Amino acid sequence: MNPNLPLFAGPPAAHGIPWLAVLAIVATAAAAILLAWGLIRGRMPASLGSAAVLLPVAAYGLASVHMLEASKNVAFCGSCHVMTPIVKSLQANDGSLASIHYNRGLVPHESACFTCHSGYGIWGGVDAKIAGVMHMVRTATGRYELPLKLNGTFDIDSCLGCHAPSPAFRAVEAHQDPDLQKALLSHEISCTGTCHPAAHTESALTGGVPKT
Amino acid sequence: MIRLACLLALISLVPLVVFIFDLNGATATVFSFVGMPALGLALLIYFVERWRAGGFHEGPGTNQD
Repeated sequence: MNPNLPLFAGPPAAHGIPWLAVLAIVATAAAAILLAWGLIRGRMPASLGSAAVLLPVAAYGLASVHMLEASKNVAFCGSCHVMTPIVKSLQANDGSLASIHYNRGLVPHESACFTCHSGYGIWGGVDAKIAGVMHMVRTATGRYELPLKLNGTFDIDSCLGCHAPSPAFRAVEAHQDPDLQKALLSHEISCTGTCHPAAHTESALTGGVPKT
Repeated sequence: MIRLACLLALISLVPLVVFIFDLNGATATVFSFVGMPALGLALLIYFVERWRAGGFHEGPGTNQD
């Protein structure tokens, strides 16, 4: 068996039909026919005009929801060149905290970036999506600096959401220290870089080249 | 103007189709920052044109049928 092939791979749609994408394409096709008709005729009856407005808007709505869901994928994050070294580092098991989580299967492989960077709870997801749009703006305009730095402070609840209930985590003496808990919750210190390895390696954050 | 609105809306659908079939950062950026504004502009032109044609006025407006 080829170790590079995915396990449990099936024929297309074996894991479900991507309805959002399918419906978006159907709405797009119908909209394209109407719009082409309007383009050729140079006028649009009110009844068809309503459909010509609603169908592209519906297609964009469906595609936007599809984007919100699909952009959680690690491959999507790694598709922008500035993020590619970070995703490679994640998969390389290079000792960084992110790669440890990824390679031991402690975070979902498909959405590893989103799992840790989205923050905890529903607003964590909303914040992550807003941050994602800003990432796109910065990438498109080239307004970013290397090494990449986290914007703001890391939401420690992303770690605690999984670790805090774990008996092994609770049994660690340092984790029981009230002063340490206070310092972590107030973002005076972080889990990474002090007691635990850095989240990402320096070379990954500098675009794959060692920092000079 | 209706032709322009239709053309812009058609143009806005291109990044959508590309994005659906090949989802990555580049296609998502074009979808968000080219496709969406193009569709917004198309809708604006269409509604202005319909308003100028009396489509939103009370009484018997001039329908473009």
